Amino acid sequence: MSPAGLHLTPLGQGRCLLEPGRGLDISQRPLLIEDILERLQRSGAAVLYYDLGELPLIDEAYYAWLDTLARACAALNVRMICMRMQPTAAFGLSHYLKEGPAFETTLGLCV
Amino acid sequence: MAKNSSSAILIGVLKLQVGQISETIEREGRNLLGGGNLLSPEEITDFCLEFLQLLIELLDSKDPHDDASPQFHALEMFFNNLSRQILVRGGRVEDLVRYIQFMQRTLIEALGAAKNIKPEDMRDILLYLSGVFNELILAVFHAYLDEKERTIYAQEAELRETATPITEIWDGVLTLPIIGTLDSSRTMIIMEALLNRIATERAAAVVMDLTGVKSIDSQVSHHLIQMVRAIQLMGSDAIVTGIRPEIARALTSLNIDLGSVTTRATLSDGLKEAFRRMNLQVLPKA
Repeated sequence: MSPAGLHLTPLGQGRCLLEPGRGLDISQRPLLIEDILERLQRSGAAVLYYDLGELPLIDEAYYAWLDTLARACAALNVRMICMRMQPTAAFGLSHYLKEGPAFETTLGLCV
Repeated sequence: MAKNSSSAILIGVLKLQVGQISETIEREGRNLLGGGNLLSPEEITDFCLEFLQLLIELLDSKDPHDDASPQFHALEMFFNNLSRQILVRGGRVEDLVRYIQFMQRTLIEALGAAKNIKPEDMRDILLYLSGVFNELILAVFHAYLDEKERTIYAQEAELRETATPITEIWDGVLTLPIIGTLDSSRTMIIMEALLNRIATERAAAVVMDLTGVKSIDSQVSHHLIQMVRAIQLMGSDAIVTGIRPEIARALTSLNIDLGSVTTRATLSDGLKEAFRRMNLQVLPKA
């Protein structure tokens, strides 16, 4: 059984979509990362799309979670691409980021 | 002022001399407010009659001193509206205030013509009139300040619009020419408008043209990089164009690293780069 708030959908062509639900507890970072990586490996994914469309704000804790997950994905040679970042979140994040993020970004899913 | 004594005296004076009072304030109204075509003679006549009517209604109310009464509120609103009308037509608040003072003087002069008013009643009436007219002048100033605030707000909104001329120059390509100085508040306004446009237009690339930026300091360059980062976080490509040699020199002396920023010499080069990234090619017609 997958952890609460973690919706991982294989999209085909080596792509997976992660839609975080409200119940996603990012304080359980190690367990979540292990679970995600295991499922990515099982589905033979090369790209992980992380949907940020429902997050109006990204605070430092959430950014740290994204950063860690992106680095962990890179270790498995999986590209993590955050998509649909909201203007308010991008605005806030740009204020405290000192360097570029570990993940890629895109406007939306390219089908 | 007790309703039964002084207000009754004042109503009596007003009713007895209404023609003369109305004529005097009408004449002064034409001098002060009719000259610059702020109010037509008919409007001034209507205004004087309505004012006297509202004043009598106030004096005839349960408690003429009660500034929360509907009658008092009606009189205040009457002056508030008149004030707006005059200001919108280009009049001056000073003229309206002078006119209100003139009305007060006219009423006091009319009292002088009345006989058999006891000194204590006269004192009460004068104090009452002074209080009412002071409130009316305040109502006029409130309207004036509201109108000014509205004007300033409208001007600010217009300035915001002109300060952020974001144009979708091609499907999915936005251009933003930056002219003048980028301070913190302007950066916030531009960023907010730009990021929202990226989201609504689903813009794949943004070309920011700095040809109009004359000087740059560490704060401005910090804002610029922040803007580029926010665009990239949204998933768009940011391309900065038109960096003048003196700006480039200033950036290097400020130790600003533009390594993560795509730059091009001109706006047209920036556009070509945006097209290239979108796998678009513009060819001359065969």
